Amino acid sequence: MGSEGSTHTGISRRLFLKGSILTPLALALGGAAISAVYLRPAQAQGFYLRPPGAMEEKRFLAACVKCGKCAQVCPYHSILMAGGEAGVGIGTPFIVPRENPCYLCPDLPCIKACPSGALDKKLTEIEKIQMGTAVIIDREGCLSIRGLRCEVCYRQCPLIDKAITIENRHNSRTGEHTIMEPVIHKEKCVGCGICEKVCVREKPVIVIQRRVQEQKDFYEF
Amino acid sequence: MELTRRDFLKASAAAAAFAAAGAPVLAPRIAEAADDKGIKWDKAPCRYCGVGCCVLVGVKNGKIVATKGDPAGPVNKGLNCIKGYFLSKALYGKDRLTHPLIRKGNKMVKASWDEALDLIASKYKEAIAKTGPDSVAIYGSGQWTVFEGYTAVKLFKGGIGTNNVEPNARLCMASAVVAFMNTFGSDEPMGCYDDLDLGDTFILWGANMAEAHPVLFSRLIDNKLKNPKVKIIDIATRRTRTTQMADDYIPMYPQGDLAALNGIAHVILRDKLYDEAFVAKHVSFKRGTENQPYGLKDKEAAGDKPENIDFAKYKELMKPFTPEWAEKLSGIPAAKIEELAKLYTDKSRKVNTLWTMGVNQHVRGVWVNNLIYNLHLLTGKIGKKGENPLSLTGQPSACGTAREVGTFAHRLPADMVVMNEAHRKKTAEIWKIDPAKISPKVGLHTIEMYRAIDRGELKCLWIQCTNPFQSIPNLSRYRKAAEARKAFIVVSEIYPTKSTEVADVILPSACWVEKEGMYGNTERRNQQWFKMVEPPGQAKEDTWQLIEFAKRLGLGHLFPYSQKGFYKEMWEEYRSFTIGTGKDLAPYETYFKVRGLRWPVKANGQETRWRYVDFDDPYVKPGEGLKFYKAPGNKASIWYRPYEPPAESPDKEYPFWYCTGRLLEHWHTATMTGRVPELKRAMPGATLEIHPEDAARLGIKNRDKVKVSSRRGSIILTAEINGRGKPEKGNVFTTFFDETKLINDLCIDAFDPISKEPDFKKCAVKIEKA
Repeated sequence: MGSEGSTHTGISRRLFLKGSILTPLALALGGAAISAVYLRPAQAQGFYLRPPGAMEEKRFLAACVKCGKCAQVCPYHSILMAGGEAGVGIGTPFIVPRENPCYLCPDLPCIKACPSGALDKKLTEIEKIQMGTAVIIDREGCLSIRGLRCEVCYRQCPLIDKAITIENRHNSRTGEHTIMEPVIHKEKCVGCGICEKVCVREKPVIVIQRRVQEQKDFYEF
Repeated sequence: MELTRRDFLKASAAAAAFAAAGAPVLAPRIAEAADDKGIKWDKAPCRYCGVGCCVLVGVKNGKIVATKGDPAGPVNKGLNCIKGYFLSKALYGKDRLTHPLIRKGNKMVKASWDEALDLIASKYKEAIAKTGPDSVAIYGSGQWTVFEGYTAVKLFKGGIGTNNVEPNARLCMASAVVAFMNTFGSDEPMGCYDDLDLGDTFILWGANMAEAHPVLFSRLIDNKLKNPKVKIIDIATRRTRTTQMADDYIPMYPQGDLAALNGIAHVILRDKLYDEAFVAKHVSFKRGTENQPYGLKDKEAAGDKPENIDFAKYKELMKPFTPEWAEKLSGIPAAKIEELAKLYTDKSRKVNTLWTMGVNQHVRGVWVNNLIYNLHLLTGKIGKKGENPLSLTGQPSACGTAREVGTFAHRLPADMVVMNEAHRKKTAEIWKIDPAKISPKVGLHTIEMYRAIDRGELKCLWIQCTNPFQSIPNLSRYRKAAEARKAFIVVSEIYPTKSTEVADVILPSACWVEKEGMYGNTERRNQQWFKMVEPPGQAKEDTWQLIEFAKRLGLGHLFPYSQKGFYKEMWEEYRSFTIGTGKDLAPYETYFKVRGLRWPVKANGQETRWRYVDFDDPYVKPGEGLKFYKAPGNKASIWYRPYEPPAESPDKEYPFWYCTGRLLEHWHTATMTGRVPELKRAMPGATLEIHPEDAARLGIKNRDKVKVSSRRGSIILTAEINGRGKPEKGNVFTTFFDETKLINDLCIDAFDPISKEPDFKKCAVKIEKA
């Protein structure tokens, strides 16, 4: 029954279990090459981009049972399992958006598959996902901000006109064109990472970072 | 060549002076030898769309190492779109074709140029001998340089003696061409891009400029930023990135443009909002042939026989086209039609209409073009600075080559046609051939050309610079015919494509700055460039291929140009067609120094921004004001063109409208942009845009696989809901760039009976979850 149920995912349970034991082992033994490919981008941003619905990082690490079911059901193979470099996070799921972002499946199969509650089952709407947030980290490198007609991140954003909008301003360098600047709205951006994936620059100028906690005060502007 | 290049560089040194004088001749700082990184820069127009952005090409060690927008280019002032940014990479895909290939059964085998050309010549000779010159053809492109198009026309029309010469521009600009001719008596716009800066009201009919004309759209939006009065009205069947920046979006049913434009004209007539004096002086009235077929049957006869009518008759004919009538057929509320009529006639506004494929790829495309001109002619809002109708083009030389050189089955250079004896005589004189050599019979138009292959009537077809076996509608019929080897097909290309797949001979071509060339953009601007790098392997430019072929047919004498002065001599011969016609081009060297010139070029070497007006066009005497001097009696035509339904409409079985088009990241069939990894990453494949309510009804979620089927074929696409484009309910939209998804299989090969341009925007499909 178990093996029958999992055949449609293309990975048999046994194979998967084998993998989940062997992969961390291989990484721990000498997987520098693999870790360089998969982990550096996530680490460079100072955080692991977790699948949709993941709890706050500390609680997530405590709750996740490292079963890999979320990765198994991800139709885009976007969810990877962390290796030894992740320390206490070894075996936890994460996403490297530049390689394979989260495509925001409307039925959120990864959350449904999570047995531990580390991915919050109360989350049912993709617009309420809070995995991270997109940030333009290199304004000088952004072709749109330089006045070229790029805006690829905007047009590919699954929450176009909500999470990313375009702000037009006069291009004083040419005197007769518009700078169409992509502007990220942190309260709407779910952090799926599609923008980071599609950015045309060699090093993406828009990347997913940790969501910043809202800082409250009494000003209304 | 060295001298001429130096001229260009010299001119560049004078940049400051020219800029200060406000002359069109703006030149940037160009490194005389090479810049500090050892890169040599030279100018060229962008290889992609009809906007015609000026670029600088950086060459080092025989390779293009960089391209950038040319700050001195008046079209784009140093900017590009994302395709233009990666321009150089388009030439350096790993699978560039580098040697001729000949079909041996199912295999393509390497061959020498001599073998390939001898084979092509023997096949053409055999067909001509057995079944006559009309059993061979050439199918080219609005991406042909002027030289390539001119060589093809001269060889086939003046040498072989057939008018079977077609450009892929038949699929994009043919309707615009016919309307320019039957309205103004001369092809191409009276206005130019300056109108985008100077006007204040821009009405777009079915045009997604934000994606299809990216840098130009940036210019239009800047006008809006500077001037709060500026209004952009987007009338379309789909919400797009253009809609997002427009002031008003007016959704319309497919084919509704015919009704809406007539409704607007009705209000203008009803409320006497027209310019009586203008109409009396500048306009005559005509009625064409109605109820013509849609070209769905092979060899179906159709045409337009104009009948002269007067203003009173026109008014009477227009009486039934009330806003309420228009609302029923267009879905645009009657009140909106009234509002648009007020906008079009507002004396305090400078009104421009912009359109492209939504209007041209239409079974009544000529009519819609005519109906747009009707509004401008009734209101006199034409031939003014900042106030014109502007037909936008899609290819870099749809104007400069396909239209001006006359690479259509009925055309000759400079607005002449093969049916006209005087035109054939003038052409024969310039070509120094017997006028009897040019056939008076119109050749096969594009769809008929491919049908003639299927019928076994067309024996040989040479395709250059385009990819019809991905881009023509009802594709599978024509692919099957080609795969069945019903004709001998030669394809000159730079990469393997869906068309090289069905070729008998594949010839490797030089691309863009691997050869010298000239392109002409939407606003009549001709831009010249020099060869900057060698083509890869044995690749050769298309003119060379055609001339070597001509020699083998015994027609080499048609191309008596010297090796050293090849381009100049051919240009000067071609230019002689234009002198005195109002389409005058400049001597070849003139173009070395400038970032293009808009014709007619004046005796003093200055360009013309606005045609038909005494303040700019040298053919109109001072004091004459506006003069449509190419039209009979100097009067432009207002046409009575009623509503007629599309060739195929949704029904119970096929309940959705299917519309196809372009997007920003890729160009046409992505032969070039598909080789740029960054663009593939940015937009990997075609999707099917569907309205969220339609999707919900069918149980389709974002990114689900869906099966789209028409009566002609079906295809699996990924659904895209609430993305960059949102079709109105009952409509779906997809793009044609993706060679793994032959979306044209589904399109109907119905076409406009006058322009013969197919309608890629309307047919009926059904959608199922795959």
